[in-house]
Amino acid sequence: MKTWHRSLLMLFGLLAVGASAAYAQVPNAPVGEFPYTGNRTAVWIVAQLHILFAGFILGAPIFVVISEWLGYRKQDPRYDRLAKEVTKVTVILYSMTALTGGLFIFVLLATYPQFTTWLINHFFLIFALIYPLLFIAETIVLYTYFYTWDAWKGPKKARHIWLGVLLNLIGTITLFVIDGPTSFMNTPAKAEGASIVEFIQAATLWDKVNNYSWMPLNLHRLVGNVTFGGFIAGLIAAYMYMGSKTEDERSYYDWMGFVGNLIGVGALLGLPFMGYVLAYELCDYDASICPYMMADQLSMFFEMQGAMIGLIFLASNYYIWLSMKRIEGVERVRMTVLTPLVMVVLPIVMTITWDKFPVPDPASLGVLVPLVLLPVILGRFLPWTVSSRTVIKVGFLMVVVGNAIWMTPHGFVPTGAKLVPELELPSAYTMLALMPAKNSAAFTLVFVTIVNYIIYNRAIKQGTIVWGKIDFVSQFVLIFLAFSAIWTMGLMGAVRSLVRKYFHTYNLVPDFSAESFTPTLAYSAWWITGITLAFYAVVSFAIIITLRAPDSKAHAPEGHPAPAGAK
Amino acid sequence: MIKKIIGGLVVGGILFGVTSALDFPQIFQLMFVAYAVLGTLVFSILDAPSVAPFSGLKAVIGLLAFYLVLSVAYITGASLWPQYDPEDEKGKINRILEPKRKLSEQGKTEELLARAKGLEEQAKSIAERLKNLSKDLPDASGGAAPAAGGAPAAGIPTDAKDLEARAFAIWQDQECYNCHKLRGEGGKKRGPELDNIGSYMAAADITAKILDPKSFMAEGFEKEYEKKKMPDKYKEVMDDKDVDILAAWLSGLKNTSVPTPKPIKKK
Repeated sequence: MKTWHRSLLMLFGLLAVGASAAYAQVPNAPVGEFPYTGNRTAVWIVAQLHILFAGFILGAPIFVVISEWLGYRKQDPRYDRLAKEVTKVTVILYSMTALTGGLFIFVLLATYPQFTTWLINHFFLIFALIYPLLFIAETIVLYTYFYTWDAWKGPKKARHIWLGVLLNLIGTITLFVIDGPTSFMNTPAKAEGASIVEFIQAATLWDKVNNYSWMPLNLHRLVGNVTFGGFIAGLIAAYMYMGSKTEDERSYYDWMGFVGNLIGVGALLGLPFMGYVLAYELCDYDASICPYMMADQLSMFFEMQGAMIGLIFLASNYYIWLSMKRIEGVERVRMTVLTPLVMVVLPIVMTITWDKFPVPDPASLGVLVPLVLLPVILGRFLPWTVSSRTVIKVGFLMVVVGNAIWMTPHGFVPTGAKLVPELELPSAYTMLALMPAKNSAAFTLVFVTIVNYIIYNRAIKQGTIVWGKIDFVSQFVLIFLAFSAIWTMGLMGAVRSLVRKYFHTYNLVPDFSAESFTPTLAYSAWWITGITLAFYAVVSFAIIITLRAPDSKAHAPEGHPAPAGAK
Repeated sequence: MIKKIIGGLVVGGILFGVTSALDFPQIFQLMFVAYAVLGTLVFSILDAPSVAPFSGLKAVIGLLAFYLVLSVAYITGASLWPQYDPEDEKGKINRILEPKRKLSEQGKTEELLARAKGLEEQAKSIAERLKNLSKDLPDASGGAAPAAGGAPAAGIPTDAKDLEARAFAIWQDQECYNCHKLRGEGGKKRGPELDNIGSYMAAADITAKILDPKSFMAEGFEKEYEKKKMPDKYKEVMDDKDVDILAAWLSGLKNTSVPTPKPIKKK
């Protein structure tokens, strides 16, 4: 795609923002009606696509600039090449973000004109000035960053890295700004004892932005975007590995896949806790949101989320397993027997602990911290060790157990109102469905993954990585991870919107349309899959045209792919 | 591979046996067996032989097939979980939002349109009657249907059955059962059991508690009170009349065999 094409798309996006602000002033605008999907699903599709593109263009630059800095510091051209290739794809997807953003506003205005007008008026300064200005600034910096890549080499590299930092700064501010209206729709600002309607009328812009779920949503999205960007980098590597013609290319893309997965998994480890904080704040805002999510209409969405998280953790650990297989000398790596023992007792001990000292009571750390540090501290003095292979296999067993605990529901019913004894956990075992057990399951998944990376780190110190010789199935694991991460984002995005129940803005602006009910999980799954496939198609196209184009091949040597056998 | 399948069957069998002995419902027994199957699958994949690289058309077909499998698996997986029936919710949403809709601009517009239509019909009928009167005065009779009027203002039902039916519908619509146990159903210990609330609170007190959750605290629910577990939203989302009906009904619940905690006035 040429620069002027991209600029045109960007202009379109900006015009849409401006037009929406103007259109919002038109009283009683007529309502459009989407055939087949209905208005709500139409908005859902466009909004989700926009968020996926936006998530990538905000998340990818974070690790791009880190990768560029690592390349500069270590003088390893592979990092620089990775950063540049991901930036190439980011530039294309940036245009798609603008396009879908403009489309989102148009669709929203056509289908829910009264509500959209109301929202824009409440955040007029953001929609009409701050957001467009940030968007323009980000566009200028992104293009400057991309087009100065080759010019600002050598002594000018530090300048280029700082430009990347600036890009991330603007990107993060943009995310935080737009999260204001988004989180406001979930948890509009309120004051104790005051009517919410009256409070909102008098509230300042900052009051509205700085609502209950604003910061938790910012953090959740920030970490989620990095996870997502990492897995997409893994996807890019997998595609390129599959299309590689030479050993050098395969070595490089094997390495890139590993780094992408490492970034994705690294950020993923924090994601369950960020999600927990967001859910905690939502429940704190209005306790009735909690049963709606966990025990009532959306409870099965969370079961599906448990299944997806479990699969993602299984796949990411399987990728480490496959990566270990290509390390010569891995069989020499051993670990204290305490590590698998801690893995096994962790879910039981922490369920009991969190039951006695519920989160956020810091007393539970008195058990958790010594337990996870036990292998490190006491392991030095004990002579018994086991092979890394055994530790990883015990880890897999515990990922399955952790996933089983996470997914065990209180009852096999979509709503508490339909609970009957034949479908309900026996009362003596209801703790399996409560938060202490779910938290311990999440922590077990995280702990096992960290241990696996520690083993990997020891393996590369004692052995030699043969890049490019990884089991081919690993490329499908990378693709699986990206697909599943996107699908889960779609699922949880739907949940975040649906917790508003029959309100556009919770408890403030009712949704009088006939579509304000909770859709079934099956119906949602169809659309989430469709959106994921549509996003995948665009991303795949972007990867192929940017990285597989003839002129790209000509530039291939710039990264000096690592030879087989290099660390 | 065979060894792993046998191992999986043994683990699945043990889980099935143990959960049967512990009186887990059948669906949970099957769920534990499914986890054993997942474990078997995971351990089989771990030791599966390496896959040789492939590229070109074969890779493209492989990728498309992979995406198809993932899509089908995720849609099927999501469809296997119990599905919430939106029909259960639609009537409830309508009942809750109807008063608000009437108050909204949209409601006002619709009301104006309805009134205009009614007036138009009335005008037509008067014109028709005048026409008939002028034609045949002795046979003239008032044939025009009166315009539809609004529903009579309804207060709190005086009949106990009516009150029970209306109040229980409000109880369900507002999902009070999610936190409060009543007649042995609902509640997750977030809020007190309410079967004997009428022994402690008059309707006016219950109304005050619904509209301002900080006005009373149930004994033994200090933590929940401090954490503001009862949402401070009903003054916004509930119709005043519905609050009165619910409060009147709850104030009549005096089942002394249920240990409803004593409310303490805080404001």
